[in-house]
Amino acid sequence: MTASSLKRRSGRERLGLKGPQAALWLGSQGVAVPAAPNTVLIEEPQDLLIARLGTSEFFVEAAAGPTIARLSRSLAEKPPGVFPVLREDWGFDLAGEDVHAVLAQVCNVNFAALAPTSSPVIMTMMVGVAVLVVPQAAGQGRCCYRIWCDPTFGPYLGEALGAVVVESGGISTGVSA
Amino acid sequence: MMFRLDAHPCEWLDRKVKLSFTFEGHEYRGYGGDTISSALAAAGLPFLGRSFKYHRPRGILSFANHDSNVLFQVDGVANVRGDVTPLRDGMRVSAVNTFGGLARDKARMLGAFGRFLPVGFYYKAFHSKTLFPRWERMFRAFTGLGEVSALAERRPTPKRYGFCDVLVIGAGPSGLGAALEAAGAGARVALVDESLRFGGSVAGSIAIASEQQRSLDALLDAAAKSPMIERLPATVAAGYYADHWVALAEPERLTKMRARAVVFASGVIEQPAVFSNNDLPGIMLASGALRLLSRHRVAPGRRVVIVAANLEAYAACLELHAHGVKVAAVIDMRSDVEDDATVASCMTLGVRIVKAHAPYHAVPGAHGAVRALEFAPIDAAGQIHAKAVQRIDCDAVLLSVGWAGAVQLLLQAGATTHYSDAFQQFLPHDLPPGVFAAGRVNGVYDFASRIADGRRAGAMAAAHAGFGATAGDQLAPPIARSRRCPSHRFPIIDHPGAKNFVDFDEDLQVKDLENAAQEGFDSSELMKRYSTVGMGPSQGKHSNLNALRVLARVRGIGVAELGLTTARPMYQPVPMKLLAGRSFLAERRTPIDAEHTASGCVWMPAGNWRRPEYYARAGETRAESIAAEVHAVRTRVGLIDVGTLGKIEIYGPQAGEFLDRVYTGKFSNLRVGMTRYGLMLDEAGVIIDDGVIARLSEESFYFTTTTSGSATVFRELLRMNALWGLDCALVNVTGHRAAFNFAGPASRDLLQALTDTDLAEAAFPFLGVREAPIAGYLARLMRVGFVGELGYEIHVSAGAAAGVWRALVAAGRDHGLRPFGVEAQRLLRLEKGHLIVSQDTDGLTDPIQANAMWAVSMQKPFFVGQRSLKILQSRAPRQLLVGVEIDASAPLPKECHLVIDQGNIAGRITSIARSATLGKSIGLALLSPELAKPGCQLSIRVDGGAIAHARVVPTPFYDPKNLRQKAAGAP
Repeated sequence: MTASSLKRRSGRERLGLKGPQAALWLGSQGVAVPAAPNTVLIEEPQDLLIARLGTSEFFVEAAAGPTIARLSRSLAEKPPGVFPVLREDWGFDLAGEDVHAVLAQVCNVNFAALAPTSSPVIMTMMVGVAVLVVPQAAGQGRCCYRIWCDPTFGPYLGEALGAVVVESGGISTGVSA
Repeated sequence: MMFRLDAHPCEWLDRKVKLSFTFEGHEYRGYGGDTISSALAAAGLPFLGRSFKYHRPRGILSFANHDSNVLFQVDGVANVRGDVTPLRDGMRVSAVNTFGGLARDKARMLGAFGRFLPVGFYYKAFHSKTLFPRWERMFRAFTGLGEVSALAERRPTPKRYGFCDVLVIGAGPSGLGAALEAAGAGARVALVDESLRFGGSVAGSIAIASEQQRSLDALLDAAAKSPMIERLPATVAAGYYADHWVALAEPERLTKMRARAVVFASGVIEQPAVFSNNDLPGIMLASGALRLLSRHRVAPGRRVVIVAANLEAYAACLELHAHGVKVAAVIDMRSDVEDDATVASCMTLGVRIVKAHAPYHAVPGAHGAVRALEFAPIDAAGQIHAKAVQRIDCDAVLLSVGWAGAVQLLLQAGATTHYSDAFQQFLPHDLPPGVFAAGRVNGVYDFASRIADGRRAGAMAAAHAGFGATAGDQLAPPIARSRRCPSHRFPIIDHPGAKNFVDFDEDLQVKDLENAAQEGFDSSELMKRYSTVGMGPSQGKHSNLNALRVLARVRGIGVAELGLTTARPMYQPVPMKLLAGRSFLAERRTPIDAEHTASGCVWMPAGNWRRPEYYARAGETRAESIAAEVHAVRTRVGLIDVGTLGKIEIYGPQAGEFLDRVYTGKFSNLRVGMTRYGLMLDEAGVIIDDGVIARLSEESFYFTTTTSGSATVFRELLRMNALWGLDCALVNVTGHRAAFNFAGPASRDLLQALTDTDLAEAAFPFLGVREAPIAGYLARLMRVGFVGELGYEIHVSAGAAAGVWRALVAAGRDHGLRPFGVEAQRLLRLEKGHLIVSQDTDGLTDPIQANAMWAVSMQKPFFVGQRSLKILQSRAPRQLLVGVEIDASAPLPKECHLVIDQGNIAGRITSIARSATLGKSIGLALLSPELAKPGCQLSIRVDGGAIAHARVVPTPFYDPKNLRQKAAGAP
């Protein structure tokens, strides 16, 4: 296990939606939604991630395949009270034994203090970029963090995080444009 | 003169590691574990630095990073602190603030002119305007410490955030006690100390009771083993900020530590006695001498005199004796000395103890270091009897006359202090929630009591952070403060020859402070600012208290009535590299950034984006490339990435009404499939943004903002919708969509080849919007006219951007397509007279001044800024935005060059360029209304003061009837 590693999340598709009926609509599409604002549900084994951003906005990510396509087609029919949010985010996975030491250099959120069972979604700033962060518990106490950002900040975020990871003795792969 | 002793188990040296370095061009040697100062001291150098003002020779004073006597230039780095910087092999060290080297410093003669350089002399001299530049140059050359090279290699250092439950500042006995108690209660503790090793002032002593040493060792061992304690040695708590946020400066890293509670076990700082020539090399603080002795085995001298006013002096005497250093005498300023075992032990050793005497004058030797001390009787009133002066030969004088609490960080934390006459020390008085004090800074001096006080504070801090049981009243600790007073009330001796220094950093003598008070600067704050006492690198650690004593004497009041000056970060000077750290300058790139690089673009910053300024071609200059890009758009087709524009979607039954409120125009009546220009104002009627609004359906719109305004505008729109509660939702897709402008007479035909959607004029008129596939990718097309030609803004998802861009480039390759950049676009829109918000408008420009009232529907019930605009309509405008044409023979003005009318400023140029298309130089200008009429002649002052003549002309300059952008037919 390396001290820390950063890689770009590939092979994933994303969808965003918001509106007063968004939660109900997702339910009608067979997608379970987190009950509380700023929390996340990850459905294995298809690795379908549903993040609730605030009360009525959702960010959905799944492996490239039929799930996102199906939801997109349904959303295109303009269900009442549900509005699409185009999501072309860049995603990264940050993991390893030293992940908290890396995060401490780039973000003022105390990630180490988060309980791994609480399933939070954290919207914060990292190296000057607004990011979405979902922590995931990995085996043996190590943590993996999924990080998303606006695609126009993607190359910079990858380079900046990657530089810190490498300087800390870790590995950064595939993070540039 | 100092010298190295043999090895001892207490030392911090590794004598197997032999280091060599140069100082002032000469080679010296040291050991692993040495600091720069300790190695130089061991070499017996008579002095190591020169003072700031008089360039007097100076040596080690505190050996604790608390004074600036030993600042060095090391390998190109300025102001390195010699006392605490580890020696490295090959170091090149030199003194700072010298002219011609340390030994033969040319400025050493300044001391002879001291009477002409009293405190504040620079406020009273140098009033001649003619001569002032010369004085200024002289002062710039003379002042400052160290040299900063603009060519020095940048060495970024990391910064990090830290989190803990309890932060303990100071790792002496009380700090260790606090940390262990808090950790034991379950709190995560960060323990910091500026020293390389924990243990505080007691560590390393070989003369103190072995029981104390064992207690200390047990504390150190427990702290090292505790998984709940993060230990940070060689770390200075440099500043305290709100909510227990503390800046921790390590040698190569800054930690921004957020704690829930903070224990200040920061200890005390030994204070010097003030007497004539008290700054000579060889005169140092006793605690510093002991640190130098125990850690680095450097003896302060071969014949030492101790100036005493407390028991610590006698402990120092025993320590020196235990290390084999001879103490010639203890000169005690008190008549009543404690009946204590340490005193008795000194007497048993045969040390000469002289009571009720004070140091009067230090006698310098050939190299400037002390060679003798004159001392005289001092009576109960503090009067010195100079006629009874005695003299004792010595090569070192150690000062042990008292302490000042290290309370600056406590004050920054919002604590108050009060001056204890019984203690002669400022002690913590009121502490804010979450702040605790322990140990000597809290007035607890006894060793066992310091540990107990630390444990008390640690328990209370942990309880405050939510760990352990609730503790009692923090203002009345159960640990009693020491009964004995460890500090002399007034260790300041007058001398007719002066040179009795209060502030070593600033070369301030007693008379300087008295003069400041007599001139009316008689409060602690005023005296500080007029005399600069406490404003040097030491920040008053050795001078503030004595300065207050002097001022109190002048005013005939007590020190308590004066109070300390306001404490502000940084407590210790922090290298700028730590504050700067690594640069995180977030840069945005459009999705086709790589395409631009491959096309040979020259990048430019545009806010936090990078954009192509132009595309370089072999054989073309910059100007030629830009001109060629403009020509391509005017005659064939060009393609520009406008993906930096803000892009916002709005949905909902009241989306149109929302837009009616935030823009000056009417959009609720905009037909589906059409666009309209939008102007956005603030409440004062000032233009803050503009864009294009497209209606995609009855309940959905898509609109753009300026590049620089996208984040601010979106935030403001969210705020306004939160206030109004309209039934609509806003989505910011700025970064998730790419956008291009495909413009030129050939654009329609070329684009038609990439889509099945009918682009003919009848099907897709000017200002229309369509959703259509382009090269297989779904796009939003808007017919807009920013550059004044037939053209299409093409908006696609970021993932589709590269594919669409390549398809457009391929489509235009055989038709003379050129990608064009920001510079060409700016010229193209200028030829059309289109304004750019924040370039052609300023913080006061309203639509009336900008000649943009055509975009305003005043008859709407409400829009932001409407009320102000109504008022402005009833007044004459202050300025008007107009087009200008520069005389052909005139030099080309620049943006912001002023228009001058009868000697007054009458306006300024906002945009200017040479237009090859029009064959003339054109621009936009904000002018006073009298000059803003077509045909008016203008005088524009350019660089160097020359005048360029111009005249006001109507806009647009190019295609005045706007036929080309409407393009009813192909050219």
